[in-house]
Amino acid sequence: MFGMPPEMGMSGAFDTSMLQLTGYLFAGLVGLIFGAILLGLFTLPAFFLILWGADKVTSAAAAATGWFPLKVVLIMFRGLRRSPLRTSLTYLAIFVLTLVLCLIYAVLYMIGNATSEKEANFKAIVTHKTAIPSQMPAGYYDDFKRACLESKEMEGMRPVRGDKDIMSWSFVLGTTDKVNQRKDTMVFLFALEPDKVLTMMDGLDDLTGDELDLLKRGCDAMKVNDRAIVMSKSRLKLLNKRVGDRIKMHGLNYQNILFEFTIIGELPEGKYEGVSFMNKDYLIKQLEAYPRDKENNPKGEAHPMLEKCINLIWVKLPDKRAFETLSGLVNSGKFGRVPIKLETASSGIGTWLGAFKDIFWGIKYILVPAMIGIMSLVVANALSISVRERRTEMAVLKVLGFQPRHVLLLVLGEALLVGVLGGGMSAILAYGMLGSFKFQIMFFGAFFVPINALIYGPLLGAAVSFAGSIMPALSAKDVKVAEVFAKVA
Amino acid sequence: MSGALVQVRGLHKSFTRGTEPIHVLRDLTLDVGYGEFLALMGPSGSGKTTLLNLIAGLDQPTQGSITVGENVISEMSESELARWRTRHVGFIFQFYYLLPVLTAYENVELPLLLLPLTKEQRRKQVETALDLVGLTDRMTHRPGQLSGGQQQRVGIARAMVTDPELIVADEPTGDLDTKSADAILGLMEVLRAKLNKTIIMVTHDPKAAARAQRTLHLEKGQLVLDTALAVGARGA
Repeated sequence: MFGMPPEMGMSGAFDTSMLQLTGYLFAGLVGLIFGAILLGLFTLPAFFLILWGADKVTSAAAAATGWFPLKVVLIMFRGLRRSPLRTSLTYLAIFVLTLVLCLIYAVLYMIGNATSEKEANFKAIVTHKTAIPSQMPAGYYDDFKRACLESKEMEGMRPVRGDKDIMSWSFVLGTTDKVNQRKDTMVFLFALEPDKVLTMMDGLDDLTGDELDLLKRGCDAMKVNDRAIVMSKSRLKLLNKRVGDRIKMHGLNYQNILFEFTIIGELPEGKYEGVSFMNKDYLIKQLEAYPRDKENNPKGEAHPMLEKCINLIWVKLPDKRAFETLSGLVNSGKFGRVPIKLETASSGIGTWLGAFKDIFWGIKYILVPAMIGIMSLVVANALSISVRERRTEMAVLKVLGFQPRHVLLLVLGEALLVGVLGGGMSAILAYGMLGSFKFQIMFFGAFFVPINALIYGPLLGAAVSFAGSIMPALSAKDVKVAEVFAKVA
Repeated sequence: MSGALVQVRGLHKSFTRGTEPIHVLRDLTLDVGYGEFLALMGPSGSGKTTLLNLIAGLDQPTQGSITVGENVISEMSESELARWRTRHVGFIFQFYYLLPVLTAYENVELPLLLLPLTKEQRRKQVETALDLVGLTDRMTHRPGQLSGGQQQRVGIARAMVTDPELIVADEPTGDLDTKSADAILGLMEVLRAKLNKTIIMVTHDPKAAARAQRTLHLEKGQLVLDTALAVGARGA
């Protein structure tokens, strides 16, 4: 029933993986909304406390100065107290909307950041053309370096710092307990060249002070002792280990290889969470020692992973022209024993994310506008009820000499107060919460809400409140005094 | 009539319900003198409240003119009327219409916010108005904490606070018990006698109307009886 036509490239049974992913995302979104509602409920007392405090301050300022706008703001604050339930619901709607959108914004921001070209720091990534995950022979790394550093074609376009601008990554997954392979016994390492960690790894360039010193010392120690590793704090905690401890790790993707590590440092918080760094030389040594391991390898064969142990190669190039030249060189096969491809780091990530592009499009252009629309309707509904209930009061204000624009401002002002406060509190919470959890998605670095959210949050709250309140406010402005009193009579 | 604060000439007011025009007031002419206490009576739908609204600048006539003091209010725009009302008219409503979220003091202060007064001047005027109605001890109370009579006294203080020459009252005792109603009417008499305010009051209650100096009876949008004229005619 759900079979795809062959021309769509998916003959036979329907591939349900994207459907599943969409399902997970939907479930995640629903969970997120419920979580946000709960969080919003928890913050309600704080919201009313702030309102109360602001009311007191405005009241005191208005009494001291007698300034008309302050008196009007005071009436707005008091207006919000009129129906705590309605004010709470409006706040909750704006809080949830802002929180969810802050998180979506954070994801899109992170992806945008990862997929945008950086002309000044042009990074390219080398991967296997067809193998997923990318796997290349250990020797290919040297071939590639030769292409970059020695070929005539790259003359005048070579990596600025030579060999220091080229780095390979090998992913090593293992367990400290071969029998009980659980989350708390797993270790995931990047095998790399320690002296290139600080210059080639993304997201470490903003380290300063103690964090930078510690990582520097860790990398130096890894150079001296190839069994030394640095581990993220969260993984240390999960393994119940501390710096100075030794661990034995059985390779999972490197079957029958036993690694013995000494943990000599921690990765700074929020950087490469859950991951550890090891010296690549130790991995190669262990692979080369494998034929001598009579117990696991009685035939003395080479380890199958030796020809597949390089997963990625990163290279920093001076500009796009250098990238294009190197790309031509790599594609020519002159330096390649394996079919490989060269992409900019951003387009590499972009290619990887290509499978999800419809989902991102849907989030950006359907989900976000739909959420803003729905929340605006919720706010509009709450406010129009409020305005309907207070038509007589609006009429009285007009009788007393308040101009229609004053009435308009009162209604808009009440909505904007809730909007800015709800949006602001939500953005602060999202920023602070994710800032302290520092969790990571894949290799994007720590997931965080950009500081811009602290401006966009209140602005979003204000915009939604404005959109929701403008019609009720206009209707309040146009209240006909005589008609209102005639109806009351 | 040079001694009249309010001069109404050839006043018409009609509304349209569906396609059918409803004539609420027809060719009405009326003068109300300075410092006069006038009661408007008549059956429901006779046009009393409409006339009151027109005199107070809350609505515009279909035809005719209304002059209050020096101002021809029938020719004013909505915002001009709003400005004019702040300074020249005080309103007393049947259901008080105080803002429930503001204290008695803040409710009385409301109309003053629109005038160029210092904080001190405003405070003085609010306290004087509340003193006049005997509620200085209830300044910080919210309307919900006051009785109906007290709320109406706050309403009178609010009507008075800008020192307007004209006070309009729409059934000011309609929602009060006899004792409170009597006190409110007494207060209105004081306003007229001591402060020379011109008061126009709509009422259904003959006892309330009896406290006024003159009573006008309206029926189907027309003036059918003016007690002052009737007394004059009987006297003649």
